[in-house]
Amino acid sequence: MKKTFIKIFSSPKNIVLAVSVFLTVLLVALLIPNVSLIGSFLKLPGTGIKEVLVLVVNLLGSLGTNFTTVTASYTVVIAIIFGINIALMVHYIKKFKESKKQGGAASSTLGIIVGAFGIGCASCGSLLVTTALSLFGISGSLTFLPFGGQEFGFIGVLLLGYSTYLLLKKITNPLVCKI
Amino acid sequence: MAQNNKKSSMGVPLAIIIAAVIIGGSVLLTSGNSSGENRSASRQNSGSHEQNNDLDRMRPVSESDHIRGNLGAAVTIVEYADPECPFCQRLHSTLIDVTEEYGDTVAWVYRHFPLDSIHPKARIESHAIECAGELGGNDSFWDYIDELYRITPANNGLDLALLPEIATTIGLDREAFESCQASGRYEEVIENDLQDGIATGVRGTPFSVIVLADGTKLPMSGAQPFSAIKSLIDTVIAN
Repeated sequence: MKKTFIKIFSSPKNIVLAVSVFLTVLLVALLIPNVSLIGSFLKLPGTGIKEVLVLVVNLLGSLGTNFTTVTASYTVVIAIIFGINIALMVHYIKKFKESKKQGGAASSTLGIIVGAFGIGCASCGSLLVTTALSLFGISGSLTFLPFGGQEFGFIGVLLLGYSTYLLLKKITNPLVCKI
Repeated sequence: MAQNNKKSSMGVPLAIIIAAVIIGGSVLLTSGNSSGENRSASRQNSGSHEQNNDLDRMRPVSESDHIRGNLGAAVTIVEYADPECPFCQRLHSTLIDVTEEYGDTVAWVYRHFPLDSIHPKARIESHAIECAGELGGNDSFWDYIDELYRITPANNGLDLALLPEIATTIGLDREAFESCQASGRYEEVIENDLQDGIATGVRGTPFSVIVLADGTKLPMSGAQPFSAIKSLIDTVIAN
């Protein structure tokens, strides 16, 4: 599994994808509280793209001022693992498509997505569900919990880690429906 | 063959779109609340008031407000804060730097937004701040907040026995301060600020409304870094 991981991430394409997703998740997490501010700022007379970009870059500093050490840590960790997860998922989907082609089956994009959602045999499915579940781990920050929903940050890290493990396992193993 | 390649090339972007939808969904559900303070405020207000973001409902800044700087400055930052909120503590320090940097160009208004559900001491501390203002005027109001934020460990950690100590530290009469605290006469002022914040769309602390000279209002959520506030003010002043 380790070899598979190294092999996948020796490809610059996969690295770029993982880093892009990581940065996207981090950007969204940091900027979403102030989307209204950015929107209102953009409407001000004399405000151009340059000014907005400067503001956005400076708002990224909120990772140090508007997060606790714990929340900042798991936000970054979740973004990293999610980047890896998406890169692995894309790799898996590509591999899945290849195998379908080899088998002579008509592989439509819709078919891949439906397959990935778990319709089909046990060994070929549930990928997106696993990924989605792990993502909703970070999203389900319910306020009634003792740690104000921070529990979900940790669960999100665990689920994303598990999801990554499952993806690697699926990529490593041959695509067959086991008995 | 070409069609197959086309189909094949669609898989990756589609997977990315799905990922983006998942990310977007998760982000929308978290609503950008990075701190327990924000979420707790939302919890505190839920059920009793429908959230809105109508900044125009904010009570206009007037002489009845506690202002650090000049009423009618080019930029006025109206802050809704809880004295036991650690992020308010951080923003307080940042806004001190901002007012020092910009002098009369920027004014800072403090409004109470105690989060009773997680910081039961916050409302008592807010009352103490008002008492300081009554006994020593606007300067004492601000001196008291500065000192309170300096010594509180935050998260409801301040020993309330220190409130009169803070008063004496900034030169107020201890007995008069304690009498004011016991009277509870600023409870309505604090509640009015809180309700004003809720009407303005405050969902957590710290929450600031940046009011420009022409009345334009910009919402700023959380303890944003000095550099972000500076870039915003610089742009506004330049135009």
